[in-house]
Amino acid sequence: MKFIKISIALFAFMISATAVQAQKGKTRLSLGYNVGLPMGSFKDNVSETSVRGFKADVLHGINDKLSIGFGTGYQDFYQKNPRQLYKLSDGSDISAVVSHSIQTIPLLAMAKYSFTPGAAVQPYAALGVGGNLVSYTELLGEFGQEQAKFGFAARPEAGVYIPFKKTGEAGLTIGASYNVMPFNQDAFSNLNHLGLHAGVTIPLRK
Amino acid sequence: MKRMIGVALLAVTGLALLSGCKKDPLQNMTEDESRIYITNRDSTAAFASYKTYSIVDSVSVIDNNRLTEKGTTSWDLQVLTAVRNAMQARGYMRVANTQSPDLGINVSRLYNTTTNVVNFNDYYGGYGGYYDPYYWGYSGYGYNFPSYGIYQSTEAALSIDLLDLKNASANRTIKGVWNGLIRGSGIFRSTAVQSQVQALFDQSPYIKTVQ
Repeated sequence: MKFIKISIALFAFMISATAVQAQKGKTRLSLGYNVGLPMGSFKDNVSETSVRGFKADVLHGINDKLSIGFGTGYQDFYQKNPRQLYKLSDGSDISAVVSHSIQTIPLLAMAKYSFTPGAAVQPYAALGVGGNLVSYTELLGEFGQEQAKFGFAARPEAGVYIPFKKTGEAGLTIGASYNVMPFNQDAFSNLNHLGLHAGVTIPLRK
Repeated sequence: MKRMIGVALLAVTGLALLSGCKKDPLQNMTEDESRIYITNRDSTAAFASYKTYSIVDSVSVIDNNRLTEKGTTSWDLQVLTAVRNAMQARGYMRVANTQSPDLGINVSRLYNTTTNVVNFNDYYGGYGGYYDPYYWGYSGYGYNFPSYGIYQSTEAALSIDLLDLKNASANRTIKGVWNGLIRGSGIFRSTAVQSQVQALFDQSPYIKTVQ
């Protein structure tokens, strides 16, 4: 109980701290290249790291530390498995090269907390929660169909923001996110993956 | 501000180049990888109880569910040879169709030019029109394929059917006991006919007998 009280007090202090008016009232776009590393059971089906992705968010500063807004992204996962014999429930046997092609587009409500606004290196933590547009294709040989699905997505992330100039509003953002994406289809139960991102943050308006 | 816009444009261009594309699985596939080999059988069939077989001397070309040709191209003959080799390797003795074989083997090339879909329900529905049961010595009998054949293909396909002639009189029908299908790209261009047919038999180890 004491711990919770201390935590709440600390959180309130962090939010109310107004040492530097770095982002209050400002809307900023962050856009970055993103690499996706499948984790957990997703990795059992798709082990290849995805190097085709990006991550973006538009956040508005509530105060100099906390900003809220919208987050999204895109990640393309692909894997081709060696030819294998599959036994189907109807008694037939199919020898096939099975390929998976999966694209995820999370659409998230986001909150971001900057620990040291105004500093040369500004660590941050963020959380996005919302939906997930998934395009899923399982091919046996060249046979199969693309399916569109919609599910849940959550994206906690952490990283650092490094402004180009000390008083500047634009800079580099580098960080990592964990993408929680439940997805029940064929052998998949989720599309959870670790994201590593690097990009720029720029103000959208003065 | 101009510099910021420049940086942003550079970043967006870089992102588009790095991540804009989707790795298309169909573009990242060889013809061999595109092909699938499907086998199915009548689970009640005792393959060891059959000792002899006879195979057609041509491949039926079935276009839009109509028999258009009895094919004897070099590819067709290679397929028939490959099936004969596989059956011999599994212990079956080849006899003429007039010598009461236990198994009959039909081989078909399937196409559908109007819808570009081969519907195997239609294929088996018209089977008596492609393969006159009289050829196997059972004039007037129908064919019966118990539990398989619900496949659709956007490509042409090769189908090999094993028919139970041994029990045709008792069943009063010619029952299909095994089907092997090859679907995918380049089936009829491939020079690897022997290995393709062998793949069907490799995944069907239950097809074997002892003389």
